[in-house]
Amino acid sequence: MNPPTYRNLALMAGAVATAFLAGCANQGVRNPSGVPVTEMKADERGFVAGTGIESQDLVTVTDKMARSILGIPEITNAKTTPRVVLEPIMNETRFPINKDIFLTRIRTQLNSKAAGRVRFLARENMRALEREQQLKQDGLVTASQDPNVVQFRGADYFLTGKLQGMSARTSQGLSDYILYSFQLIDAATSEIVWEDSAEIKKQGLEDAAYR
Amino acid sequence: MSHVRSLVRWSSLAGALTLALLTTAQPAFAAKPKKPDKDFILKEYQAASLALRRGDFASAKISLDSAITAIGGIVVDEAGAKKARSLWSDESAKLFIGEPYERVMAFYYRGILYWMDGEADNARACFRSAQFIDADVENKAYASDYVTLDYLDGLATAKLGGDGKDAYERAAKLTSAPLPALDAAGNTLVFVEFGQGPLKVAEGKNKELLKVVPGVSPITGAVVKLGDQAIPLAVLDDVNFQATTRGGRVMDHVLGNKAVFKESTGTVGDVALAGAATSLRLGGSSDLSAGLAIGGVLFKGASMLTKTKADTRAWDTLPGRVGFISVKLAPGEHAATVEFIDETGKPVVSRPVVIKVAAEQPDTVIFVSDRAS
Repeated sequence: MNPPTYRNLALMAGAVATAFLAGCANQGVRNPSGVPVTEMKADERGFVAGTGIESQDLVTVTDKMARSILGIPEITNAKTTPRVVLEPIMNETRFPINKDIFLTRIRTQLNSKAAGRVRFLARENMRALEREQQLKQDGLVTASQDPNVVQFRGADYFLTGKLQGMSARTSQGLSDYILYSFQLIDAATSEIVWEDSAEIKKQGLEDAAYR
Repeated sequence: MSHVRSLVRWSSLAGALTLALLTTAQPAFAAKPKKPDKDFILKEYQAASLALRRGDFASAKISLDSAITAIGGIVVDEAGAKKARSLWSDESAKLFIGEPYERVMAFYYRGILYWMDGEADNARACFRSAQFIDADVENKAYASDYVTLDYLDGLATAKLGGDGKDAYERAAKLTSAPLPALDAAGNTLVFVEFGQGPLKVAEGKNKELLKVVPGVSPITGAVVKLGDQAIPLAVLDDVNFQATTRGGRVMDHVLGNKAVFKESTGTVGDVALAGAATSLRLGGSSDLSAGLAIGGVLFKGASMLTKTKADTRAWDTLPGRVGFISVKLAPGEHAATVEFIDETGKPVVSRPVVIKVAAEQPDTVIFVSDRAS
């Protein structure tokens, strides 16, 4: 081959290299695709879309609480079946949630897996229950028991909880720690007869296109 | 024979270059499955604004929940975002979630609606999330500096029986304006908004610079007229100010690099084409002329295909400023007027409202905008 052709090839190769080097638009950006969220110190690991409260957290936390409640002497050694009323939990995190879902799942877990060892009172249905009792007292509907005798049970315990969180955000990513704590309170003495907690920390980094 | 060899050589070279460029450009040209609308969050934002202004709070909740579900997490491995970072797509190829000031407003509005539903703790969660979103700014002096959000965090905490002093003190440090006391006994919360919020434009030679343009409005304040009382609202936050104090983004760096690529390939293309013309004029080697011409065209093509424009999609129905007041009213209906005033105190817009205070409801929440819809 003649020398000018080599020069041309060298020129083109240089030009191609320049184009590709200059084309690295993401150069200097760390983790341009972002870092997937990782769950830390949790019983289960799975794909999560955010650092907030998600379904796998609900399952992990409520399973742990239901197991824990069934192990306490106030439940296992009770002479009569303890009656429990659910009190709304307090959300102190930065994540708006359906708060009732935690207590609902604990209740369903206890009702399905420990039938009879603990009973829950349907206080959220009191208005309907009172209306029904009134209808019975008025003789408008039939009653299998004397409607003038109060049948509604009183609570032996209140089950409630609190969600608290700590969050951090820097250019390196964001992290959220949430402490889920639940209590069983003796309705007669106000003593906290049981308390347990679960904690979950998550962190991640968004795609560079959103940073 | 030598002409044939030369032709084969140049064709191979041009083919290799084209292949290389197409390979790099694959995300732009490859067939893709149907994806969700990349603007759906923006549409939800705008729908929520309009619904709030016409008092359709149920619809506003649906729109905001849809948007917050999408923006509440961390966006990773999003195909649109990858395209936005590539050379061959503008930034607007990505799923729109909005700049921090836009995401903050989505949480702020949702917080108001939670409070309206009697869920002060979820409202507080929204205000905390909003303030958290504002934490990642270049100049830390502007990090988490929404006065209203900290104030409402403190007020919600106080109403829930907690100690709201920390949040209140944070709010007080963020403003030189007088801050209303934390009045947990107040049973009526009036939220107002007025003025034009920020818009976005792309500047720079290659439109790679995102610039926020503050909206303008003659309205500077608001007063609630209730009987013979005129209660000024605490206008604590300026959305335009918040939008312009974020500082640089990582994406600005990406767009800057794309602009450098566009410029450098364009320059190389110009030089190569000029070299080809000069070579032809001076009777130089036909190989050299052809090589320079092909290279020049390819580089110019790469330059032209490079997309550098910053994303100017914006929640354009946002207000310029937001205000708030908490008052204690007796149960029953109260006819009131919210007057939006200019700097001389003259009303520019008046909105009549009926405040219905229920005896058992913890708080009555009113939302009034200077724009009806």
